[in-house]
Amino acid sequence: MANVSVLKREYGACLEAMNAAFLRGDESAFLSAVDHIVQTRTPKMLSEIRKLTGDLQQALDRFSIESRLADIAENEIPGARARLTHVINMTDEAAHRTLDLVERSGPLAERTAREAAALLEAFDTYRARPPAVGFEGVARAVEAFLPVVRSIEAFLPAARADSEQIRRNLADVLLAQGYQDLTGQIIRSVIKLVEELEHALGDLTALSGGRSELTPIENNPSSAGYGPVVPGVTKGEVASAQTDVDALLSGLGM
Amino acid sequence: MSKDLKFLVVDDFSTMRRIIKNLLHDLGYSNVTEADDGKTALPMLQAGNFDFLITDWNMPGMPGLDLIKAVRADARLAKMPVLMLTAEAKRDQIIEAAQAGVNGYVIKPFTAETLKEKLDKILGTAGK
Repeated sequence: MANVSVLKREYGACLEAMNAAFLRGDESAFLSAVDHIVQTRTPKMLSEIRKLTGDLQQALDRFSIESRLADIAENEIPGARARLTHVINMTDEAAHRTLDLVERSGPLAERTAREAAALLEAFDTYRARPPAVGFEGVARAVEAFLPVVRSIEAFLPAARADSEQIRRNLADVLLAQGYQDLTGQIIRSVIKLVEELEHALGDLTALSGGRSELTPIENNPSSAGYGPVVPGVTKGEVASAQTDVDALLSGLGM
Repeated sequence: MSKDLKFLVVDDFSTMRRIIKNLLHDLGYSNVTEADDGKTALPMLQAGNFDFLITDWNMPGMPGLDLIKAVRADARLAKMPVLMLTAEAKRDQIIEAAQAGVNGYVIKPFTAETLKEKLDKILGTAGK
């Protein structure tokens, strides 16, 4: 009962006055002594209630941060791993597709260049001939030119086919670059998760340090979209090909 | 159908805008302008007599779906042909886009043939 001395110091005089007033039958002195005790007691009680409320708030905050963290660890992190693996696969696929197309186009361009060079050489040889004299000379010149004409005849359709193929390959290289958009969207979603994790951990540290201002969670508008489909991660019914979309829309009368 | 159509291509990824622009060029449409989200696209549409809008869905700022709703709500733009070109592939989203008034919906990754087919269909130039 070490506190008795404190109680005596705080309330002793007042209790004596109260007792004396009571014995005297002095109502107003008695009540003013009671008021005094209440006034002494109230601020302490209030501060204790305040402290309790604060502790409760902190416990609730900690609980909300911890359940957020638990959810991130349980669901979001494995999802993020699957997303990033999907990104690796997509970039791998796109790079190989591009390299394939480049490897296939190179020889076509080379062949065209080589055959054009051979034709030029044949022309040069023909031009270097001495001038044709007389009917026989002209006949010989025509005969000498015939192989060049045949080479041109063979060259032109091949050059056209090769160039067209190269053009198609280039268009496919162009489309293959679409991976940057798709993987970019997926990586952006992982960055968002890392940010959220950073905030949750930061809040937890701040809470342990006594600060209690939590980072507000930003919610995207519902119209923002979910990003590209990631196998094993994206939930709900998704169209896996353009034909699914077309079928769905034609079912809606479009 | 005139090949002088003025296109606005809206996508937050510049690579995708270049791809679409190149494909449009290959199809003979050379009048192509770019914007990187709905917020920049809307005033451009309102100011500059465009004939065709191609938009992504998932963009920071104003998403494509909101852009389409804003376009349909603007009396001067309400009838503009709109093609959505997006990686968003959930069934509900496709329905939502249809209800918002898109004229076509193409999911990424897409092919040049798909793009041509949808453009032709929307412009009524199929088989021409």
